Amino acid sequence: MRKSGLALALTASVAVSGCVQSRQFADVQFTPPQGNYRLLVMRPDVSVNSLTTGGMAEPRAEWTDQARANIIEALRAEQAGHGGQVLVLARRNELPNVSAEEIADLERLHYAVGNSIALHKYSGAALPSKRGKGLEYTLGEGAVSLGRRTGYDYALFLYAQDNIASTGRTALQVIGVAGCFIGFCAPSGGSNQFAYASLVDLRTGEVVWFNILQTGSQLPGIKFGDIRTPQGAAQMVDRLIGRMKPGSEIREAQAQVKGDR
Amino acid sequence: MCMRCVEISRRSLLVGGGALVASAATGVAQARTRPADMVPLIGPGFRPTETDEKGLWQLMDRAEEEISGSNLLVKEPELVSYLQDIIGHVGGPAAKDMRIYLAHIPDFNAMMFPSGFAVVFTGLLLRMRNEAQLAGVVAHESGHFLRRHMIRSWRDQKRKSDLFAIGAMAAGMGGAAGGVYLGDYVQLAQLGTILSLFAYSRAMEAEADAMGARLIAEAGYRPVEMANVWEQLIGEEDASARYRRKQRRRGSLFDTHPSPNSRMADLRLSATEVTVPGRIYDDRRARYLSKIAPIRQMLLEDQVKLNDPGGSQYLLNTLAQDGWNGMLRYYEGEVWRLRNRAGDDARAAQSYAVAVAYPDAPAEAWRWHGLSLIKEGRSNEGKAALGRYLRMKPAAPDAPFIRQMVG
Repeated sequence: MRKSGLALALTASVAVSGCVQSRQFADVQFTPPQGNYRLLVMRPDVSVNSLTTGGMAEPRAEWTDQARANIIEALRAEQAGHGGQVLVLARRNELPNVSAEEIADLERLHYAVGNSIALHKYSGAALPSKRGKGLEYTLGEGAVSLGRRTGYDYALFLYAQDNIASTGRTALQVIGVAGCFIGFCAPSGGSNQFAYASLVDLRTGEVVWFNILQTGSQLPGIKFGDIRTPQGAAQMVDRLIGRMKPGSEIREAQAQVKGDR
Repeated sequence: MCMRCVEISRRSLLVGGGALVASAATGVAQARTRPADMVPLIGPGFRPTETDEKGLWQLMDRAEEEISGSNLLVKEPELVSYLQDIIGHVGGPAAKDMRIYLAHIPDFNAMMFPSGFAVVFTGLLLRMRNEAQLAGVVAHESGHFLRRHMIRSWRDQKRKSDLFAIGAMAAGMGGAAGGVYLGDYVQLAQLGTILSLFAYSRAMEAEADAMGARLIAEAGYRPVEMANVWEQLIGEEDASARYRRKQRRRGSLFDTHPSPNSRMADLRLSATEVTVPGRIYDDRRARYLSKIAPIRQMLLEDQVKLNDPGGSQYLLNTLAQDGWNGMLRYYEGEVWRLRNRAGDDARAAQSYAVAVAYPDAPAEAWRWHGLSLIKEGRSNEGKAALGRYLRMKPAAPDAPFIRQMVG
């Protein structure tokens, strides 16, 4: 429930037009994990809703379970491509020597930090003190201690939501667009996705990379990959975490090297 | 589906709802809802079978995981099992299925979630004078679950928002085709839809009240205690508002709950209806007091720190109708001391002096009694009182400081 608050705030901040949008931020010193690293994926928070004719999002249990399973599969496949070892948590009490409360606390802390990132990096309320510093947020000692005890290098937090237009909603969209021809244009939002991912370096506790993905269209029938299907889930995971860019200082250094050649 | 949460549900309704044609059949009976008509709509071990309800439950299971692990919960096992025991008595057919959590929030509220778990605020426990009153509130919340209110109101919102979307589109198309502007009517329809959603919510609250009255009467609690809860609440809100030179909020079209006054009146009628002549009803006050004894000081401490002297005074006086004691007198003094207007120190001193005459006076009463005496220049008596404080609470955080004062 709380996560959907963040989702709402972010959806409101970006105009819903027919497109796929993603925008990532990284720590200035960030280099995407490569080679022999160990990644802990926190329990992915996934929900799939049916969008009613009137525009309400109705949660669907079976779709949600299906989508979560697909996303976890897609994540494993994606990470295997980078050579990392991945553990996806299904429950909070899965790690030896780490209590469920500790994981819950970290999730809650990340929720607050993620909200702050969303507010100050995406919703326009930029902080002057953080200008030009890339991503400068941390989960602190708790995350470091988790890394030390479990041997994981990174933790990935992931939220994904897919609203799927019902037949009634699609019909309303069709009529709304068709109305344009008689002088009454009333396009309304149809299927849309919202997702965010956040990578925490468990050696420093810092949030080193953050990305938000949004898709949606006011044209009926347009889909951007349905996460209830393995292909759609793979597409979302690829859009969300498949194209991690290094931080600004690293990029500058790389450009320098290229320039010198 | 909480007792009196106003803002949250209203906002979510405005955001989530926003729909349909004015006053289209709301399904709201304006007549009073009678306890006799309130039969539970679910049996023991209920699990959702329909798609929309299954989705809602899945979402709520996540919410329950978060709430049950929250550090805001009071986890004293005795108290938690006491609350569970009460819901087990007044929960009707679902008595064994419902869960109850106690949240440390000094406010008068309780709520039921769609999947059958309830959250009670500690502020509620402070205000209840006996077990029958607490059982009344718990029974009201059980009523929401037994009457399937959450899924019913969800479906109501869905139906109305669908109809509004279709109606607004039809008006737009029809208007465009016919060359007239129907926007004003659409706006009116939107307002109508929103109002009907609130009316539906109020009807459900009335149902839960009626169902609750029936449940507690069946469990042997004195039914009129539910109405007494509202009488106390009205008195408290009046006192609090008067103190701040404002008026208590009156009912409006946008209320999710019926006004306390009408709820009190309805509950009094319901109480007489469900009372069986000759049957003996109990309020189990002694049991209630002994169960909440371990946290009562915390409850009072939370209340006096709300900076609501009017409300706190009313509350203390209400609780004292069952007899003053050292604890209540001490907190009466605290209300004055924390208000800190001219003459309040003398009033507080008086309360502390009375408090320590009772055997149950908390250690803090002796502390403030002692400090007040010293302030008045009665140094020796003051030091004696402080000595008493130190003997009662040798490990108090300020003990070294007080020890130095006593010399």
